[in-house]
Amino acid sequence: MFDFDATLPLMAIQFLVLVVLLDKLFYTPFGKTLDDRSEYVRSRRLTAQERLDSSKKLAEQYEAELVDVRKQGQSIVATAQAEAQQVASAEIAEAQQAAQRQREAAQQEIDKQKQSAMAALDGQVDQLSNQIVEKLLTAA
Amino acid sequence: MMMPNSLIFSNFLSLAELEVGRHFYWDLGGFSLHGQVFLTSWFVIGLLVIATVLAGRDRKQIPTGLQNFMEYVLEFIRNLAKNQLGEKEYRPWVPFIGTLFLFIFVSNWSGALIPWKFIELPEGELAAPTGDINTTVALALLVSLAYFYAGFKKRGLGYFSKYVEPTPILLPIAILEDFTKPLSLSFRLFGNILADELVVAVLVLLVPLFIPIPVMMLGLFTSAIQALVFATLAGAYIHEALEGHGDDDH
Repeated sequence: MFDFDATLPLMAIQFLVLVVLLDKLFYTPFGKTLDDRSEYVRSRRLTAQERLDSSKKLAEQYEAELVDVRKQGQSIVATAQAEAQQVASAEIAEAQQAAQRQREAAQQEIDKQKQSAMAALDGQVDQLSNQIVEKLLTAA
Repeated sequence: MMMPNSLIFSNFLSLAELEVGRHFYWDLGGFSLHGQVFLTSWFVIGLLVIATVLAGRDRKQIPTGLQNFMEYVLEFIRNLAKNQLGEKEYRPWVPFIGTLFLFIFVSNWSGALIPWKFIELPEGELAAPTGDINTTVALALLVSLAYFYAGFKKRGLGYFSKYVEPTPILLPIAILEDFTKPLSLSFRLFGNILADELVVAVLVLLVPLFIPIPVMMLGLFTSAIQALVFATLAGAYIHEALEGHGDDDH
């Protein structure tokens, strides 16, 4: 069973030859393939990460711009509303003034007519009272 | 082969003798060789080389089929070496540890899966190369050389300081370790593979059909584990030689 002979050194040499052979055929080329691939994947991941970051930054920038624009729009709307409010209140005030003026004019007209009517009435009152007095006096 | 029950035990012994002791001797300039070991080891080496050549003919960025499989194998080996030697040191040792694993693994499984018995040899029989003590001792001695080489290359003569490093009292044990390491490596592998083949052979002899299958499955499992253990221990020994006791930086 424990039968040592020249098989031992020859087997050792044969094994070393196999190591060299497989190193040339297997470990070096396949290792290079594996390393190249992992390098490739790593670099691709890196660029993808960079692009993701830049796109995220862009999105943030756009978001900020959007906020700005929205704010601007709100302020425009607010100023327009204020202006419209101003215009409306000015016109309302004007209209109220005009109405006031017209009312005053009408009031004056009414007063004038009232006075003339009163004056006319005064004349008639005098006349009627004269007639009453005459009638009373003649009757008496 | 029919035999009375009382004869089984004696037949078992003669069977074990017959299985293990006989070799298909070759003569090479006065040195004798175990021919059957070389034949199967050439088969194993050829299988490995053909597989790598076929897989490596047209390597693509996105692997398919055999290339994918061989890349998986390489990643497995790299992880094995990395776990033992650490991220920094493992790369130059991948070919050695990886070839240890692949050679032992393919040897073990070829011994368990390929019906070598159908190929008649003048004497002895074809089996896993790792079931021969010469192969396992050769591999174990190579591991010893490898870790000595690693230690000397990394630390020069300072490598010897590890023998007296914590205390010189342990010097004999430290020296003894250099002998027990290859001894345990080679005998563990040899014993496991030979015992597995013997058990399967005996069971096949007793009950030719179906009964040996669970034992064969177990044999496949232990064969794979043995290959892993051998490669892992080789990595661990090399790591130990590289690290030393005191002057490491972790």
